Amino acid sequence: MALDHHTIATGRVGRGIIGSVLSGRLVWTLVSFLSLLALWALVAGLLQSRLFPGPIDVSAKFMTEAASGELGHHVGVTLLRVAAAFFVAMFIGSAIGIALGRAKGADQFFDTWLIFFLNLPALVTIILCYVWFGLTEMAAVLAVTINKIPNVAVTVREGARSLSRDLTEMAEIYRFGTWKTLRHVTLPQLAPFIAAAARGGLALVWKIVLVVELLGRPDGVGRQLYDGFQLFDVSMILAYAIAFILVVQFIELAVLQPIEARVNRWRR
Amino acid sequence: MKNGQQAIRVTVARKAFPPVADRPEQLVLSGVDLAVEEGSFVVLTGPSGCGKSTLLNIVAGLDKDYSGKLEFGHRDARLSFMFQTPRLLPWRTVEQNIRYVLDDDDADADAKVAAILERVGLSASANAYPERLSLGMQRRAALARAFVVEPDILLMDEPFVSLDDPSADSLRALLIELWNRRPTTVLFVTHDRIEAVMLATRLVRLGGTPAGIVQDSEVKLSPTERLDREKVLAARLRLFENA
Repeated sequence: MALDHHTIATGRVGRGIIGSVLSGRLVWTLVSFLSLLALWALVAGLLQSRLFPGPIDVSAKFMTEAASGELGHHVGVTLLRVAAAFFVAMFIGSAIGIALGRAKGADQFFDTWLIFFLNLPALVTIILCYVWFGLTEMAAVLAVTINKIPNVAVTVREGARSLSRDLTEMAEIYRFGTWKTLRHVTLPQLAPFIAAAARGGLALVWKIVLVVELLGRPDGVGRQLYDGFQLFDVSMILAYAIAFILVVQFIELAVLQPIEARVNRWRR
Repeated sequence: MKNGQQAIRVTVARKAFPPVADRPEQLVLSGVDLAVEEGSFVVLTGPSGCGKSTLLNIVAGLDKDYSGKLEFGHRDARLSFMFQTPRLLPWRTVEQNIRYVLDDDDADADAKVAAILERVGLSASANAYPERLSLGMQRRAALARAFVVEPDILLMDEPFVSLDDPSADSLRALLIELWNRRPTTVLFVTHDRIEAVMLATRLVRLGGTPAGIVQDSEVKLSPTERLDREKVLAARLRLFENA
């Protein structure tokens, strides 16, 4: 009987995805996207300005940049920086969050530190990292990581404060040990908090990485935007902005959403 | 299995809950000395809130804030604990919940898990998540988990409360069957006197404030008599006459 339950549940999920895509969601996305494009073309057509290129000029620029390999190179470099800063910040931030959520004394002691770093403007961290460590790759990634860690720590701390004592006792009785307890008892309870931190975090890291690149890196999307600004080449700025949006959307749909669906399988 | 040997010896000179807000310190247990013989099924009973569960948590090692002593007959005795609520991991399947209490390098894990699932009647639900099952089925999974580690000592804290009578009866029958197949030392807390008489080979009653042991009697019923309602009711009257 329970097997039936399971099959039915899986079936429902399967139909849900295909069904929603066919019955309108995709259509609506398409309609919405095309009307935005049309509005853009219309305004550009009316203005007839080099500083407000239409979709055709921008896609032409996009194509030349893509064909020369420039676009791929800069987007790839930015992506690597985002990934490095994101994973390091998630790992360290989660560890700090769990520690503070579990140990009350440490939480009280470090609370002020956390508030200090939370309110430190991103630009300050970036400038200080470049001043202290030079215009290096390490300084760039470090600056982004330091900006991100306190946000992750605060979110994960909330989760660690509300861990179930019942399940911790169960794990103790059945001798789960540190690793098994972390993997099967603690992390699943923190999953919604870590997911929230990851989502908010990715959005933040993207934006800070661009600023870091603009201020002190020879390549990356941020650098290209800066060059576009210097040359008043708005087509280039928009082409890179669109490439950036496409990559972020792709990661959202192809990576984040499937992970979330998998982690939430057990919920009723 | 050697009878006559002590499996658990717990003495609690004093157990108090620290003061909370405006409530003063609460003395719960005092002068408790309980020795449990290996292979016996000891039922701890007494009015609700008297400290039965507290004593059980002390034996489990979950509560270390007391003055007294805890010893086990086995060095490194393997414990199982069936709690009042099933305490299954909701994000893991029934099968995973049972597998994870076994050692990672246990080569027979697959066979053990399959066998215990079969015995408690959950083979068809092995891949279901606990919250999709009824409370009775979740309790079966918790019972399977408690037995799969082949414990030296099995602790149970009112494991069959808030079930309807038929479900509770079938779980009790299952417990008796599992226990007969693999006898182990059991310390079982309940306030249900009929359940106490049905299961116990020895009945220990706590009472008073702070609580101490007020009664300690053997229950001499044969396995068939335990399933006979008349016999159980008669034994209950006898055992609880001065309660």
